[in-house]
Amino acid sequence: MTPALDRADRAAAVRTAARSWRRAGIVDDTALAAVESSFPDDRVRAGAVFRVLLFLFTVIGVCGVLGFLAAALGGHDQALAGLAAVAGVALLALTELQVGALRRRQGGTEAATSLLGIGLLLAAAAWLLFEAGRMDAAAGVPVLCALAAALTGAAAWRWGYPLYAALGTAAALVTLAHLPAGRAVWIVLALAAAPALLRLSESPRLPPAHRSSAMAVLLVALGGLYVAVHVGSWEERIVERIGGRDPGPAPPAWLSSPQGKLLWWLAVAATALVPVLVLAAGLRRRRLPLLLAGTVAAVASLATCQHYLRLEPAWLVLTGAGALWIAVVLGLWRYLDAGPGGERGGFTAAPLLTDPRRQAALEVGVAVLTLQPEARGAGDEHPFAGGGGRSGGAGATGEF
Amino acid sequence: MSPDVVLAIPALVESGALPPAAAPRLLRIARGELISVHAELRALLYAGVLLLTGGVGLLVRQNLDRIGPVAIATVLGLAAAAALTWVARVAPPFSWQEVPSPNLAFDYILLLGILLVAADLAYCEVQLGLPASHREWHLLIVAVLAGLAAFRCDSRIAFSLSLTSFAAWRGVALADAATSRAWGARAWDAAEAWRWNAIACGILFAGLGLALAHWRRKAHFEPVAVHLGCLLALGGIAARIDDPAWGAGLLLAGAALAGVAYRTRRFPLFAYGVVAAYAGLTRLLAGLSLDAALGCLWFGASSAAMIAGLLAVHRRMGRMKEPA
Repeated sequence: MTPALDRADRAAAVRTAARSWRRAGIVDDTALAAVESSFPDDRVRAGAVFRVLLFLFTVIGVCGVLGFLAAALGGHDQALAGLAAVAGVALLALTELQVGALRRRQGGTEAATSLLGIGLLLAAAAWLLFEAGRMDAAAGVPVLCALAAALTGAAAWRWGYPLYAALGTAAALVTLAHLPAGRAVWIVLALAAAPALLRLSESPRLPPAHRSSAMAVLLVALGGLYVAVHVGSWEERIVERIGGRDPGPAPPAWLSSPQGKLLWWLAVAATALVPVLVLAAGLRRRRLPLLLAGTVAAVASLATCQHYLRLEPAWLVLTGAGALWIAVVLGLWRYLDAGPGGERGGFTAAPLLTDPRRQAALEVGVAVLTLQPEARGAGDEHPFAGGGGRSGGAGATGEF
Repeated sequence: MSPDVVLAIPALVESGALPPAAAPRLLRIARGELISVHAELRALLYAGVLLLTGGVGLLVRQNLDRIGPVAIATVLGLAAAAALTWVARVAPPFSWQEVPSPNLAFDYILLLGILLVAADLAYCEVQLGLPASHREWHLLIVAVLAGLAAFRCDSRIAFSLSLTSFAAWRGVALADAATSRAWGARAWDAAEAWRWNAIACGILFAGLGLALAHWRRKAHFEPVAVHLGCLLALGGIAARIDDPAWGAGLLLAGAALAGVAYRTRRFPLFAYGVVAAYAGLTRLLAGLSLDAALGCLWFGASSAAMIAGLLAVHRRMGRMKEPA
């Protein structure tokens, strides 16, 4: 990332914070203007909606031009691979031009060209490996994933896209899964890298985008760790399957041996422990991404518990879980709210600097997503389906 | 956590841009020493309500014969009453303006109460032996109940439930009419019914939203109604995009929406309009039977034109400084 882009991102972070202060009424318009003049923006940016539109039309446009050129080349595999490679390099150069000389940031078009550039280079590499090189999947996939990790990692580093950092980590995990001890590597690497990544995600020396990228890498690595130690993944040999090996029948026969049973119980303990540790780290460092990841892992572990214990009946499990869930959340809210100044341990249930417009937009989004006004004939059999619907939102499923 | 903001705050205080009294709290937030979990708790509550109502649905479905109708109806009724009693107890006085929620759980307990009432009502309808052809009225009743609750308790979530239940009622009702051929020999099929339902509901919702905003009665509900309305109407038109006439309709409707949204600076609506108009125009060109290469060329050239147009519009809207 260039120093100019680093400075621009840091200034943008301050301006964004100042706007949240203005929304919360902490500062007035004059103060906001003063902040914006102290931390000016030298980048060409677009609002969220325009960004999405520009991204969409850039993708459509580039695909259209490539389709036209592909048709002109006659559709020969070799020519298409060459076209993909040339276009990929050109699009990456175009991204560099936009982010550099044209000073675009959060503009939609540069994100689209970078994504398409990486995708096309990977497509060309896939052709080279599997068609020209006649490599089989076992050998070719790890090479391709390593290339994907390198490309997305470089893009994340150069242009500061946390999504690429996450994708690159996932691709690297797939590559590592092809090693003989892939599962162990997933576990060891995640445990070894987690403290450093956590520190990097808070380091003032790194630009904001690189801090976010470090957190993205950490979350994917923790996801890999959870999959590697999860009892179900262990029984089904999921990491080995990702690594392209045939692990044989699941669960493996050696599971019934005393050593296998011990390992099984260790996996059970790890399945329960990883969410707790991630949640504990999130609480200790007060990092919301870790808390959310820990919550998701905890829900997955509880679902795993239900799967193995075969708790019945389902309605009681769901109703009980829902009621318990609501009670826990309400209890947590009460606990935080009753603390001195409405906070405990640095956590508060008050909105603080939350953007109400964003919250309202989310509510609208949920309503839109759950809208299913599809008509259905009266003759359809539907003895009963309670609940009145789903959502924030929505009954609206026409189930009655 | 934002180290850049941590570094900036003392300088801003020194320059007078930031009141010194506010600095300590803002520094705590920027350092990550004070974190709000407000949005996360809301999301978790929403998930809990979905889990619970899903369980209630299964309870009723699986135990219809075993537990007995009176017991099920009573339990559901009591649970709904408990939720709604709590809501009634803490609800702020009615106002046509936006009212701050009394607490974090308010919207979600209200939603839970409405969904439980809906489940109980549907169960009773089945037990009373209501013919299947009349069961769509259940959706209308839920829509009205949720609408009343939304206005009384100032809940956007309940309002969206009301609108979507209403749309579902129209869809089911029209499909039933098509099935029974109650409207004569005219060839109404379910898909046709769905399309017209979507378009009519979309116009109705958008009109309702605009009316609320115009008369300043729960004007903050307007985005929910207008967004749902526009998406429904455009979706209804787009569903017949195989017909060039409907493609033209989509082009016109999209262009009109984009124009109005541009004038009123409603960016999401502008996006719906632009995408719809582009899809409609592309459909019209597809009718010219272009070959694959020319089709691709169209996408390339038209997208370039769209990008240029969007950048020009964006610049004119004066939004080139900071993302929303």
